Amino acid sequence: MAKTDTKAKALERHGLTDEQLRKIFRNMLLQRQLDNRGFQLNRQGKVPFALGSEGHEALQAGAAMAFERGKDILAPYYRDLGLALGIGLTPYEILLSLFARAADHNGGRQFPNHYSSKAAGLMSFSSILAAHIPHAVGSAYAMKYRREAGRAVLVTCGDGTTSEGEWHESMNFAAIHKLPLVMLVENNEWAISTPLDRQMAQPEIWKRAKGYGMPGLRFNGYDPLETYGAVKEALDRARSGGGPSLIEGMCYRYLAHSTDDNDMTYRTKEVVAEHRKKDPVPNFERVLVDAGVMSDKDVEAMKKDVLRETNEATDKAESMPYPQTSDLYTHVYEGAWQPWQ
Amino acid sequence: MDRADYPGVDTKTTAFDRAGLSDEQLITILRTMVMQRTLENRGFQLNRQGKIPFASASEGHEAVQAGAAVAFARGKDVLVPYYRDLGLALGIGLTPFEVLLSLFARAADHSGGRQFPHHYASKTLGLYTISSILTAQVPHAVGAAYAMKYRKETGRAVLVTFGEGATSEGEWHESLNFAAVHALPVVFLCENNEWAISTPVHQQMANVNVYERAAGYGMPGVPVNGMDPIDCYRAVKDALDRARSGGGPSLVEAKCYRFLSHTTDDDDRTYRSHDEVAERRKEDPVPNFERRLIEQRVITAQDAEGLKRSVLAEANEATDRAEAMPYPAATELYARVYADDWQPWR
Repeated sequence: MAKTDTKAKALERHGLTDEQLRKIFRNMLLQRQLDNRGFQLNRQGKVPFALGSEGHEALQAGAAMAFERGKDILAPYYRDLGLALGIGLTPYEILLSLFARAADHNGGRQFPNHYSSKAAGLMSFSSILAAHIPHAVGSAYAMKYRREAGRAVLVTCGDGTTSEGEWHESMNFAAIHKLPLVMLVENNEWAISTPLDRQMAQPEIWKRAKGYGMPGLRFNGYDPLETYGAVKEALDRARSGGGPSLIEGMCYRYLAHSTDDNDMTYRTKEVVAEHRKKDPVPNFERVLVDAGVMSDKDVEAMKKDVLRETNEATDKAESMPYPQTSDLYTHVYEGAWQPWQ
Repeated sequence: MDRADYPGVDTKTTAFDRAGLSDEQLITILRTMVMQRTLENRGFQLNRQGKIPFASASEGHEAVQAGAAVAFARGKDVLVPYYRDLGLALGIGLTPFEVLLSLFARAADHSGGRQFPHHYASKTLGLYTISSILTAQVPHAVGAAYAMKYRKETGRAVLVTFGEGATSEGEWHESLNFAAVHALPVVFLCENNEWAISTPVHQQMANVNVYERAAGYGMPGVPVNGMDPIDCYRAVKDALDRARSGGGPSLVEAKCYRFLSHTTDDDDRTYRSHDEVAERRKEDPVPNFERRLIEQRVITAQDAEGLKRSVLAEANEATDRAEAMPYPAATELYARVYADDWQPWR
């Protein structure tokens, strides 16, 4: 890659250090690697299901950098691999989830790509669209009720979820009670097979914020730094008593909805190829190289390292045991009690 | 009351913006408002006398309902109201006798005395049966509008109403979004009376302007003074015309006030002060509109008195007549529940 004048590029880094910028990039690489690993393992018949977040890398890696582990709570949806990685989940933990092994946080009971981690402040989430948003609002309400200043809840969803009644009820309630909440919409233009223009008549979701009486903002979700700036500002406002925000990051879903979906039945290769030109992963790589934050060599080494880590995590997770049949009712009833005994 | 009775008075030269309404229509609006208030109080009286189980109250909504009803095209449009829409029901043609049959829950009522009081329905008028469940009617209205579009029935529209409290329900959001996506012929009329039973509007929403949500859905949002029947008529007429001609849905918000308790089963003194209500009574649309029509010489003070007497006589006559009607027979209990005479336990 030819070196251009980095000074002339004037990288808007939103106060992020070189180390943080590299961390964002590494998260994006890891996210793409693990995303593909999920699809590969599914096609090999080794995992039952995986979800694809390709195209969301910048948005999620940028947003995760604004999250304060140990204080904030993340209530994600099922396409948030990069957010989970960004706040501290390891590739090994991700692969335990995909392989549904006993050592998984949920004991292998949850859907693949449905992580949770009490230590990381990552709420367990539902496959049911919008079900987690009232939960997130409830958490924010608890923070306010207990006067836990300096904390906030980051809740995410796709564009399709904004059509659910619960989404509306949650936004309204959060606004009335000025709750410490950031509603981050990852608008990837597709709700499984429903395109944005059949999901809503007015495609700028952030514009609904005014109706609820909260700040609204749309940002370029292909740019992790712009994303970081937007999410940080909203989280800071929430943490300091300024109430909720509705922010919308524009991105695109490059893969099918999941391994169980064939997107060629409802959209064309050409449309996807057109959006691939905006692919945030190679673009951010170029930005960092141009800005002199990383050399081409650094990038290659990082990619190799990410692949190595992914491979190791895959092998390690795969070798772990499944939950035991005798554990079937563990975490279902209290103690050893089973109602039929 | 005809214009000819007042030779020399040129209403055209006055500043009175009548939105194209004739004298006759203006007087119809006033009569609906006076009838609404009379029947409203009649409901509370009959409840306190132990003659009817329950009544809900729309005092303060007279202007928005009487105005909106004139914009409704009977025989074409469909009205999907909520339980505080006495004036809309009267305005589109329901008679005081029919209203009282509902209150008395008599067999001759449209629902056979089975519905809640003030939950009217009339197939001939295009008046949907009402649900007490908040917002349940809004998806129904959107479905009716979808049917009109699907069947290519141009020139028709659905008028659906609700209070501001109903706008916090998920169904409300889903309905508005769906209507906007499919550009359906429906007008969402919010009667914002500032109280959702005992919840004040500022505890119901952080932005008290419901109409400002319209932009988020991609439809026009129109605020109107709900104490002025002409303003309400104009806004609802514009929105209905737009819907009927393929222009899609609108959200109209009429700012009004609820002067009485939520219902006969509610005591509003437990959550708001009489001073607040007394202050808002100054905006009472009924005497205000009467005064306006007299000032504009659409009617005389004498006409107004005559109108009130005539309304009271009609309300009294309807009350006596409805009260004298029989209750549904016990043998009718399962009629319209199962097809034909079939009863599952036989």
